[in-house]
Amino acid sequence: MSMLNIRNFIILGVVSATSWATAANEVQISGNVASKCTIYTSTNGIYGNPTADVLSTATADGGTPAVIRYDVVNAGTYKAVITTPVSFSTSPSLNDTLAWTGSAAVSEVTDASMSAYDSSKRVFDNVTEFDLTIAGTVWFGAESKVEYGYGKSLPGGSYKAVVTAECIAL
Amino acid sequence: MIRLIAVLSLILIGGSSFAHQFTPTYPRFSSSFIEGVVVTEMRLFNRRDDVEYYQVSVFDSEWNPIEFATENKIVRIGYLQTKPIHVYVNKKIVRKVVYICTESKLMKTGGVAPVVSSRICSKVKS
Repeated sequence: MSMLNIRNFIILGVVSATSWATAANEVQISGNVASKCTIYTSTNGIYGNPTADVLSTATADGGTPAVIRYDVVNAGTYKAVITTPVSFSTSPSLNDTLAWTGSAAVSEVTDASMSAYDSSKRVFDNVTEFDLTIAGTVWFGAESKVEYGYGKSLPGGSYKAVVTAECIAL
Repeated sequence: MIRLIAVLSLILIGGSSFAHQFTPTYPRFSSSFIEGVVVTEMRLFNRRDDVEYYQVSVFDSEWNPIEFATENKIVRIGYLQTKPIHVYVNKKIVRKVVYICTESKLMKTGGVAPVVSSRICSKVKS
């Protein structure tokens, strides 16, 4: 065996050994699941105007309720707080009283047991609280209705009000 | 079948929706480079293309505001951006801190004004 052949044989051996060693290496995939809450605005609400003195997001009144999606990674770490409006952020000049009503309720769930959120929710003033006791995604619908004066016609113009969706760590 | 279509529709709507995320859920304060002041790092993620500004606030257990310092109390953050937020609190009052929150600030005029304001609060556990 010539010197050249011996050298090629040694190089081939080293390369093969290295390849084998590499193939035997373990490749790790690491990850981290951290607790978090994400609020998605699925649908901005739209007021319908069923009668001259009423604005309402109810579907029956020609409106669209606001839909807010909550994603929670870990169960029991957050509560959802939805506040329906009690004033307009934008409106024409109004000189009579406004009677506001609003509500929030579970709209869609990814886990059937989330339907229980509605029966255990807490409502005070214009605020609705839900304990997010199950991990996953839940959609809440927020409805708002306002009546102007005593059957008084709302002046023409653009009306906007704000629903506040909160996620509070427990 | 109708229920399945409804859920799929909501998922599809959700795919094009706007999100606000604020982590960690349970932050911890540690010593800062300023003597007598502690700091915690929060992360704000903005996936609301209709919102560019968020307000940072700190509260006690009764939701009374607590004095704190940060780079900007009104944070400007672009769509799909993540921003670290350093919250500095005097060491003497850090025990009172319970909630650290960010709230989306909505533009009153211009374009189609959004009607959902989002607020996420993390809790400091003692």
